[in-house]
Amino acid sequence: MEKISPMFAGARIPYGTWGSSYFPAWQMSALAEVNIGQFAGEAMNRIMGLRKVPIDVLEYLIIGSTIPWHWKFWTAPLVAACMDHRIAGYHMEQACATGLQAVVLAAAEVDSGSNDVVGVLTFDRTSDSPVGVFPERRAHRRTEVLADVWDNFGFDPATGKAMIACAGLAARKHKCDRREVDELAFYRYEQYFKAKDSGFLDRVLVPLDVLNVQGRHLGRIDSDAGVRKLTLEGLRAMPELDSCVTGGTQTHASDGMATLLVTSKEKARQLSPRPEIDIQFIAKAEVRTDPSLMPEAPALAVQKLLGRTGLTMADMVVVKDHNPFAVNDAIFSKVFNYDWRKMNETGCPLVWGHPQGPTLTRVLIEALEEAVSLGGGYVLIFGCAAGDVGIAAILKVSEGGKQK
Amino acid sequence: MRFLRQPTTETLGLGPVHEFFKRGQLPTDAGDLVNRIFGQPGKRGAVVISGANGIVGAGKTMQLGSRLLEFNVPIAALDFPSAPDGIGAQYQGLKASFGQKRADEIMANVIRLNYDGQHLPSELNGLRPRFLLEAIPEILDVKKAHYEVFRKAFPEIEIRSVTSGFPAAELGVGIAHPAFPHQINKVWEIVETEVSPITQLFWALGLIPIPVSDNWSFVLDVLFCGLTLAGVRYHEASNMPFWKIDKFVRRLMGPNPFRAHDAIGAKGANFLTWSCLHHLSKNYSAPVFRPAPTLDHRKDTGQNWYPLNHFRPVVDWSMSDSGDDEFENWLIGPVAQMTSLMVHEERSHLAHMNAIGELCAQFRKGVIAFLRDLGPETTIKRVESYHRLHPEAAGSCWYPDAFGSMDSPEWQQLYVNAEHDGKVGVITIGRESYNSDVDAEMNRAIDWLRAEKVERVIVTGDFHLSTQLVGADTSEFYPALTEADRGYAISSSWSRTARRLNDEFKVSVGFINGKRCLGGMLELLMHCHYLIAIDEAALGMPEVTLPVVPGMEGCHWPFRKSRSEDWPRLLELLLTGRPVGAREAVGWLVDFAGPMQESLQTAWKVVADEKKGPLPQRKMSDKALKGIPADIGLPDSGNPAIRATRKAIMDCIQSSCGVSLAEALEVQAKHSAGFMGSEFCRGGVIGSECTKVMNV
Repeated sequence: MEKISPMFAGARIPYGTWGSSYFPAWQMSALAEVNIGQFAGEAMNRIMGLRKVPIDVLEYLIIGSTIPWHWKFWTAPLVAACMDHRIAGYHMEQACATGLQAVVLAAAEVDSGSNDVVGVLTFDRTSDSPVGVFPERRAHRRTEVLADVWDNFGFDPATGKAMIACAGLAARKHKCDRREVDELAFYRYEQYFKAKDSGFLDRVLVPLDVLNVQGRHLGRIDSDAGVRKLTLEGLRAMPELDSCVTGGTQTHASDGMATLLVTSKEKARQLSPRPEIDIQFIAKAEVRTDPSLMPEAPALAVQKLLGRTGLTMADMVVVKDHNPFAVNDAIFSKVFNYDWRKMNETGCPLVWGHPQGPTLTRVLIEALEEAVSLGGGYVLIFGCAAGDVGIAAILKVSEGGKQK
Repeated sequence: MRFLRQPTTETLGLGPVHEFFKRGQLPTDAGDLVNRIFGQPGKRGAVVISGANGIVGAGKTMQLGSRLLEFNVPIAALDFPSAPDGIGAQYQGLKASFGQKRADEIMANVIRLNYDGQHLPSELNGLRPRFLLEAIPEILDVKKAHYEVFRKAFPEIEIRSVTSGFPAAELGVGIAHPAFPHQINKVWEIVETEVSPITQLFWALGLIPIPVSDNWSFVLDVLFCGLTLAGVRYHEASNMPFWKIDKFVRRLMGPNPFRAHDAIGAKGANFLTWSCLHHLSKNYSAPVFRPAPTLDHRKDTGQNWYPLNHFRPVVDWSMSDSGDDEFENWLIGPVAQMTSLMVHEERSHLAHMNAIGELCAQFRKGVIAFLRDLGPETTIKRVESYHRLHPEAAGSCWYPDAFGSMDSPEWQQLYVNAEHDGKVGVITIGRESYNSDVDAEMNRAIDWLRAEKVERVIVTGDFHLSTQLVGADTSEFYPALTEADRGYAISSSWSRTARRLNDEFKVSVGFINGKRCLGGMLELLMHCHYLIAIDEAALGMPEVTLPVVPGMEGCHWPFRKSRSEDWPRLLELLLTGRPVGAREAVGWLVDFAGPMQESLQTAWKVVADEKKGPLPQRKMSDKALKGIPADIGLPDSGNPAIRATRKAIMDCIQSSCGVSLAEALEVQAKHSAGFMGSEFCRGGVIGSECTKVMNV
């Protein structure tokens, strides 16, 4: 591997100090019943406990979520209080880029020397999303009401178009073939179930028991509820909602949380169960593509990133993305002439859902775990976000980190 | 006189319980002691409680006020004018306990006085203070200055501090450290060079003074604060929230240390816990006591341990088998180490050390009984495992040899003692509820008396640690809810123990000296040839309300000893759960009821008289009984569980009375065990408690 100077050279992700909840589809689990900020805080504490990380080592907390939750005004300090730990921190959001951007911000926090151990905690509950009431004097109705998840999916105020229309437009622009997109989606499902059956997901996902207000068991979050095995025939038979977009080739709303730590190099060695593994930040890029072409934005971000670092797709040991539409991967494949079968080996959001805030954090955790099991190397993470934005980042896992 | 181990009443200067019976009177009298301490009627001095509006001060103002009212001892409640009214807040509780009239009288006897901390109010002179109970903040210099002010004004005054941490040697006064909740908890840890009339007065008023040695922090606080610290350390090692640690601690030992802090008031309780541990760690140079950073923080902030109501926990925590083991090392290890120190220093009678945990800190079994169950080897291994997790704790205050005498009577007879004079023995029960420990100790006490050739025995409460006998410890029944064999084993073995009182002595007398004798304890004592109770005692079989079927032969034994015309009364006792007064029960359940002195004298005459005693012995039928009414016309309760339990109890009565005495034990045990597995028992008080405590 050639020598590349990493961004945030002083920051590391300690291997194995991470975890994610499963992402049950919206309205299908006990997560529909909880304050997701509180749940995420308590779940992070639990996950860190399971990973043998005393929560007291945490100096700062960056939370990321996109859907308003009760008491979100109090941001990270409140979520930290749910871990019985009083630390400062803040909330950030960038639609579906949140889960990666929060990690990058944490690295900047560590690299700047402000804090040695920064927690990243991303979460969202799409179930029963809040409805905002906005006084809009210039609107003919004077007052606008907005259901946070579905009204935003359905209408980009900058372009006037829905998300699904972006997928159709991008598919037409890149001349995607419905048959190939169906095949791709089918392959993604196979990848997910293979990873699940192999036990890989058990290394990153943590079953969590949810209590009701009386302290009694309300439900166990131990599966990506709602994910079902699809057949290629079934996918092909689905009605097209827009070009190359069907119920099977787009993701679904879900609920969940994901967390990891970003620390100094020394702290990473102290906290990781395998201190010999070193995970560095190499580079990050973002682009905004033309109106309503969001699914091509990630490929453009990766282009920018590779151009800046001098790395190529051949250098990547793991490639993984947030792909709310299967056309995202089809377009990426065309742009880079890259076999989409080589991506998303352990599953992806197309299959396991789209809780927005934590999506890319789970993608990242799975990718790093996979890279370790492959003996290390460069890890490429990317995805799209509302506003026709693409985000991409490269991390490097030290060689010799093969799963013991 | 010979004792199985030292009677706890001796530690109060009261002599052995055997002497109470032999002399036919209690060793001391509240009226006499009041006269000695506060002066003759008409010239009575007052109790002064300083810091009377605080949690401790207000609680003790109520407790002492209600007990001293009949002796016309005024209570002067002293505090700063700015102190929030803590006494007025007690009124509703007082009313609920005593009724409005009595509550008004108690309150009317409390004279509230303000002072500035340096000058005593002139009104105090007229009250002739004879006893100061100091309950002011835990600041050594402030306390000492406070005593000086009083000594200057009233040189003869007796002073006791309620301090939870400072030794008497530092304060220069004796200590009477009470336990929470202060209105009702009768236990006081007492530090004084010799037993004083004040301490004996506490005993005579029905309180439970427990002498302990003079150390930085007394037994209760070492146990309670030590357990809290152990929980905090586990939190720091595992991230487990305090509410969940509480649940695991409760399952393991009984207490909820963190809930208790919040219930007492986190601000004050956090400080007291920290202060206790801080002084211990400093004075012993012992890291095992050193407050953990989390505790430092809670002390500084006064923050609650449980989340606020609107943040009731959402994510549950479970424990793997290996986690369970580590948890037990973190919890049992330091508690056992701290206990080794207390045993090594002989801080109190072991029965006292044990009882303090049960009566004041919610231990299901006192710490001594708990460690006795583990045995010396496992206890020491637990401490060593804890030291691997917290190596610096190993360097001091660790006395493994303290567990080397677990086979001695001092360790083996924590709840039951025996005394005899060569002719008459007395077995004392120092635990309010009957459990397997009491059962085993009862058997050992009987064995000892038999080996000592004693054929006459009185079985009684211990006149100290058990102020009543409330029945079986229902936590013992948890396994029986799912395993009928366990229920049968408990019922049959406990019944066999009870029968020994009937079978193995020439004369046995059950003596009920407290205000209640219920359920299993009543069943135990009714096995004696005679049953004697003080007038004020209430006797009852409340099993139907739990619901369970009585398991220690209560469904046939009393029928065999009573006339058929009294059977409806026994049925009513068993089927309604309503208690009866001792006097009402004479002739069909008890043989004599009277004032304490007369009861003591009667019991002695019955047990000691070689010829015909003063009471006729009710005859015991060992044949199958006929004619037990199948119905006594009780109105239907409307509650399916009670209806089913009444039927089960009635079935048990009919079946066990319908066979010979020899067969009845097994019949009753089977009925009792069978019902414990029923949906009604599992859905009742015991089942709910079991779910709450064990399924965490």
